[in-house]
Amino acid sequence: MSARSATALRLEIEHAMERSFPAALTPAQRTIRETASTGIAEVNALIEGGLPVGAISEVNGPESSGRTTLVLSFLAQRTAEAKVCAWVDADDAFDPESAAANGVNLRQLLWVRCQKAGGLVRGKQAAKPWTQLDQALRATDLLLQAGGFAAIVLDLGDTAAEHARRIPLATWFRFRQAADRARTSLVVLAQAGTAQGSPAQGTNAQSSAALALQCAAMNPVIAGGTVLRGFRFEVRNERQRFTPFAVGRKKPPASVWPAASAWDSLGIKEDAAAFECARVLEMENSA
Amino acid sequence: MSRELYACVHAAEFPSQALLRLRPDLQAKPVAVLQGRAPLEQVCSMNRLARLKGAATGMTRLEAEALASQNEGLRLVSRSLEAEAAARAVLLECVANFSPRIEDAAKEANREAGQGTACSLVLDIAGTERLFGPPRALAERLRNALKAAGFRASIAVSANFQAARMMAVAARGITVMGTGEEATALCGLPVALLEIPADHAETLDLWGIRTLGELAALPQVDLIARLGQNASAWRNLALGAHAHAFQPIEAAFSLREFCEFETPVEEMNSLLFVGARMIDSLALRAATRAMSLACVVVDLNLEGKRTHRLMIRPALPTVDRKFLLKLLQLEIAAHPPPAAVLSLTLSAEAGQSSKVQLGLFAPQTPEPSRLDVTIARLKAIAGEDRVGSPVLEDTHRSGSFRMTGFVAENPPEEEKAVQPRMALRRLRPPLAVRVALNAGQPALFHDGRQSYKVATSFGPWRSCGCWWSMDGWDIEEWDVLAELQGAPVACLLVMDRGKNEWRLEAFYD
Repeated sequence: MSARSATALRLEIEHAMERSFPAALTPAQRTIRETASTGIAEVNALIEGGLPVGAISEVNGPESSGRTTLVLSFLAQRTAEAKVCAWVDADDAFDPESAAANGVNLRQLLWVRCQKAGGLVRGKQAAKPWTQLDQALRATDLLLQAGGFAAIVLDLGDTAAEHARRIPLATWFRFRQAADRARTSLVVLAQAGTAQGSPAQGTNAQSSAALALQCAAMNPVIAGGTVLRGFRFEVRNERQRFTPFAVGRKKPPASVWPAASAWDSLGIKEDAAAFECARVLEMENSA
Repeated sequence: MSRELYACVHAAEFPSQALLRLRPDLQAKPVAVLQGRAPLEQVCSMNRLARLKGAATGMTRLEAEALASQNEGLRLVSRSLEAEAAARAVLLECVANFSPRIEDAAKEANREAGQGTACSLVLDIAGTERLFGPPRALAERLRNALKAAGFRASIAVSANFQAARMMAVAARGITVMGTGEEATALCGLPVALLEIPADHAETLDLWGIRTLGELAALPQVDLIARLGQNASAWRNLALGAHAHAFQPIEAAFSLREFCEFETPVEEMNSLLFVGARMIDSLALRAATRAMSLACVVVDLNLEGKRTHRLMIRPALPTVDRKFLLKLLQLEIAAHPPPAAVLSLTLSAEAGQSSKVQLGLFAPQTPEPSRLDVTIARLKAIAGEDRVGSPVLEDTHRSGSFRMTGFVAENPPEEEKAVQPRMALRRLRPPLAVRVALNAGQPALFHDGRQSYKVATSFGPWRSCGCWWSMDGWDIEEWDVLAELQGAPVACLLVMDRGKNEWRLEAFYD
C-alpha cells in the first residue's frame, strides 16, 4: 500500500514538473556497454570496468607518463583471452621486450612498423613528417575493415601533437563506425593535450572518442639507490561518453597506479612498500 | 561381357591453340605460328581466321610477312614448345576427368600429311555409360569441358581404336560410329590417313585408290601379293577392324601454366591480364581433384636472361580466383620485375581444401583469406619486412628481435596475472647525444634540439657479447631521470664503448 502511494506520489510530482524536468525522479535508463579490462585495478575503477569495446579510446600523455605501459597491460589482457590484436606503430617505437614483460602474447600481435622512406611512398614525399602518419592511418583503416581484431592500437606517441591534430574528423568518424561494426577496441596512443593542456583541445578524435584518458608522470620514488624503480602515474578521465553527468564536478576524476620495473622481481607490492618508506623518511626529514 | 569403346580427342593446330589459349586478346585475330631457325622460319600452324586470310602451312617468314602487310590484322608469333607442353598437360588433365585410361596418339597423328602438328588423345570409355550417359552425350560433355579449358577439338567415338583416331583427324565436331559401322563411316576418308610409305602410296595412287573405301574393296590376297604383308594391316585399318593393344599413359599431376609473350611486356596490367587466365586454369584443375592451391610460384623470365621469382602463399589453401589474383597483383606491386617480361610461368602446389571448424565460443579472429590480402596491402604500405609478429631473439643484446609472418590463430587461453611493468619506447635509430659527466655520471645531455638536465642516474650496467664477430657490442647502459622543460622524463642512455659515443636509446613510458 505504502509502495503504491509512493509511486503515485512520484508520478504526481513528475507530472507537475514535466515542463521543467522530464522524469525528474525516475533514474535514466542506462545501457550497459561492453568493456575490456586494462589489467590495472585502479584504472578499471576509474573508467567503470575498462576500455570500451567497439569504440575509440584515447590514451594521451607526454613521455614517461605510463601511457604505453597502460596500453600494453590492456593488450596483455586481450591476448590472454586468445584474441588477436594489432599495433600500428607510426614512429617505430614499440619495444617487443617490454610487451613480453607485460604479458602480451607476441604471436597474437600484428605489428605494423611505419617508416619514413618505404612502401609506395617515395621521393620527396618520403621525407615529409606526415608520410608515417599517413601510412599509420591507412594501415589502421585496412585493419579495421579486415575485422577480427579485438584491439588495434594506433601509436602516435612520438608524433607531434600539431601533426596528429591535423587528422580530419571524417577519418575519426569512419574509424568509429568501422570499430563499432567490427567490435574492435581502437586505442589511440598520442601526445594530445600536452601542448595546450586544455581538455577541450586535448583529444584528437574529439567527439568520435568514447573515452579519453590523460596520463601524467608523478615524481618517481628512488628506492634502494641502485636501480630505477617505483614508478607511479596519474591518469585522468577526461572524457567518457554514455556516463551520467556528475553535478558539481569541477575536475575530471583521476587515479594513481604503480608500475614495476621490467627487471624488478619484487613487483609492485615491494615498490609500494618502498614508496611508503620513502614518503615517511621524506616527511621526517622535512620535519 | 564388356565391349571396347574408344573416344579420340583431336586438337588440330595445337601450336596456335596452345599460344592463344591464355590470350583472349589474340583469339579474335588471325594468328600464324612460325617455327624454325631464323631466317628460315616457316608457318607451322594457324587459327581459322588466319587460314581465311590466306595463310598456309609451309609458308616462309617472308611470305607470311608479305601476307601480313596485305592483311593488317594478321599476327605472326613464334612457336613455343614450353607453352605446348603446358597446354598438353592441361588437355590431359581435362580428358582424365572422363576416363583414367588414356593413350597418346599424337605421334601418329603428327605424321599426318598436311595437318600440321596436333595433339591426339584416345580415351578408353568402355563402361562409362552409367556415369556420362550414351557415347554422344559423353562426347558433348567432353567437348564442352575442352571448350571451357580453351581448346577446340574434334571427337570421334568408335569400338575400334584406329577408326576413332582416323575419324577424329578427318572429321570436325563429334562423330559417333556404331559397332560394325566403321567400314561405312571410314569409306569416304582419304588414303593419306593411313601410314603408307611413299612408294606404296604412289602405287595406290596409280591404281586410282583415293579413299579408304576403295582400298577396303580390294581383295586381300591379291593386295598382299602385290604390296606385301603390311597391306593386310592397311586394309584392316580401312575396314575399321585393325586390332590395337591399348597402352595407357600415366600423366603426372602437375599444376603448371606457361605463357610466352611475342613482345617484352612492361605493363603490370598486361601481366595480370594473362595471370588471371592462368590462375583460373590452375584453380579449376585443382578443384576438379577436390584440392586447393596451397602455394603459387610465379617465375618471370626477363630480358637479359634474368629471372624474377615471386611466391604467393595464402594462409589456407584456396581456389578463390579473385583472392589469388589480388594476392598476385599485390605481390607484383610489392616486387616489380626489374626488366621487361618475356614469359610468365605459374606453378602451383596443391593442398587439401581448407576446412575450418569455427567454434561457437571461440574468440573472433580475422578471416584467413581476408587477412592475407590485408597483410599484403600493409606490406605494400609499410614495407616487406615491417609487418608481422615480433619474436624475441635468444640473446642478451638489448632490443633485439626479428619479424615473422603473422598467423591468426586461437591458442588456448592463458591464465597469468602479470602486473604492469614500465615499458620502453625505442628510438629507431638511436639518437646520438652529447653528454656532460659529473663524477663519472651523466649530469646533462643534449640531443641536438633540446637539453635534458639529469636529476638522478643509475648505472652503468655493462653488457657485451658477440665480440668474435662483426656485430659485437660492448655498451654501458644508464637509467636516467631527467627534466625536460620542467617535466620529469625517464630514459635509457647508452654509452657505446667500442665507438666511444653516447646514444639516447629509449624513453620509459
